Amino acid sequence: MTTLTHLQRLEAESIQIMREVVAETENPVMLYSVGKDSAVMLHLARKAFAPSPPPFPLLHVDTRWKFRAMYEFRDRMAEEIGMDLIVHINPEGVEKDINPFTHGSAIHTDVMKTEGLKQALEKYGFDAAFGGARRDEEKSRAKERVFSFRTAAHRWDPKNQRPELWKLYNTRKHKGESIRVFPLSNWTELDIWQYIYLQNIPIVPLYYSAERPVVERDGTLIMVDDERMPLEPGEVPMMRKVRFRTLGCYPLTGAIESEADTLPAIIQEMLLTNTSERQGRVIDHDSAASMEKKKQEGYF
Amino acid sequence: MATKHLSPELLNERRLEAVRLRLDGHTVARVAQQTGLSAPTVSAAWKAFREGGWEAVPVRQRGRKSGQASSLGEREQHILWRLLAELPSSPLPGWSSQALAEAIAAETGSEVSPRAIEHWLAAQDLKPTPLALAGLARRRSTPGRWYRQQVQPVLERVRQAGGDVWQGGVRVSPLGEQPPDEPRRYQLYLHGKRGALYTRCLPAPPMAEAYLALFERLLAQAVGPVALLFHGAWFQASPEIQAWLKHHPELHLINVAPNLTLGSDPKVR
Repeated sequence: MTTLTHLQRLEAESIQIMREVVAETENPVMLYSVGKDSAVMLHLARKAFAPSPPPFPLLHVDTRWKFRAMYEFRDRMAEEIGMDLIVHINPEGVEKDINPFTHGSAIHTDVMKTEGLKQALEKYGFDAAFGGARRDEEKSRAKERVFSFRTAAHRWDPKNQRPELWKLYNTRKHKGESIRVFPLSNWTELDIWQYIYLQNIPIVPLYYSAERPVVERDGTLIMVDDERMPLEPGEVPMMRKVRFRTLGCYPLTGAIESEADTLPAIIQEMLLTNTSERQGRVIDHDSAASMEKKKQEGYF
Repeated sequence: MATKHLSPELLNERRLEAVRLRLDGHTVARVAQQTGLSAPTVSAAWKAFREGGWEAVPVRQRGRKSGQASSLGEREQHILWRLLAELPSSPLPGWSSQALAEAIAAETGSEVSPRAIEHWLAAQDLKPTPLALAGLARRRSTPGRWYRQQVQPVLERVRQAGGDVWQGGVRVSPLGEQPPDEPRRYQLYLHGKRGALYTRCLPAPPMAEAYLALFERLLAQAVGPVALLFHGAWFQASPEIQAWLKHHPELHLINVAPNLTLGSDPKVR
């Protein structure tokens, strides 16, 4: 009898979760944020249903403020894999030109991400949505179950969660309810990087260190990704060797100074770091218990 | 292997071995052949043994003992930090080690050598080395193509017009994580002829006016046009600098393309 490594165990658990969802729900979808967790989730989905492509589409809730490299990577991956990619942008947000600079990160996130996601789920009638969230990312994510139930209004009640003893998942739901499913719940950031390395999974180049134009905002390094980024009078972006541990909207995502330009170097850096990867996300610091509030309102 | 390339430990081992072989009756030539030392070194080791015994055979430690270097006192260091935060009173584009030494002497009355200041700058990670441009023209790589297409034609034009070529950049020092009480410094620097360093430090990322002060001083001391290869700033995003450059065609600013592995010039340290 062969003993599975911890990564093989995690992989098996994630594949079982994905198959369970496909067997038990009518219209699942995979949320694709183009980050490293999405890359791993997509890789696992392809493994779970090989040789066929996964029997669900990918959904990207776009805010129009992602890094350019993310859009290029997203379109390339969708073409290579041959899966349906649904891109949804909240039309009301576009109409009002909601953006992180004039409206602030909280409103931008609420309108373009939370409302955008709810709109897309309703528009296409999805009753289950895979997400790449992990317990080690943030405290409110740590207490969320693998199968996380949402009311018809997409609200999450952290005090009313189903037990998942012995990895038995109760997938019954009332009419109008939906499930957010997190196959990577038990993975850590280090597991993700090790798996990407071992399986040679393509990721957005922004995760690797390179010289990029950045400005400092309250101690956070923000990359000037396009001409929409407003500079202070007289401000000149500096070219600094940076990389991203997490990817989101570029004005709200902090870079870290790093020399790690290969996967082994990133893993080595990970082993030495003592800060959370989401420390670079401005939206997580909007207010106390920020993420939990957003999740209760329907944020992914 | 030539003796001067041996580590002191290995050289001493061989000198002791040479003396043992000489005691066994081998000739100087034979011992030199066996130990790899030169004949004069074997003779010197043998002479040292005859005059002072085994203790005299090993060579003394090369160079100055650690801790004996003339270090700058707290007062001088404090003055240096203060000076580096300002523009020099002379029309220099930044502080040279010579100018810093003169400024300290004027303020304290004590002599500090420019070399001691250079060592201090290196210890503070404020002594960047110029980019290695020599040989780039022949390299069949991205840096080579960049040099041939974007740098070489400009440098040739400027040199033909009797102008000067400078290198420079902006960087953060120290790099990476640092103790919370240690301030971050944003260093503006230029390398002139033979890699001479001109620098200044700012407590925050330089704004357009800091770069423009540097460019204006650079032009003021030049007799002809100036080509400046600059690394570390994204000037395309600055309307102030673009407008200034439009009115000063005598400054040929060449941005070093990001992520080019050019290395540093090993001849200039």
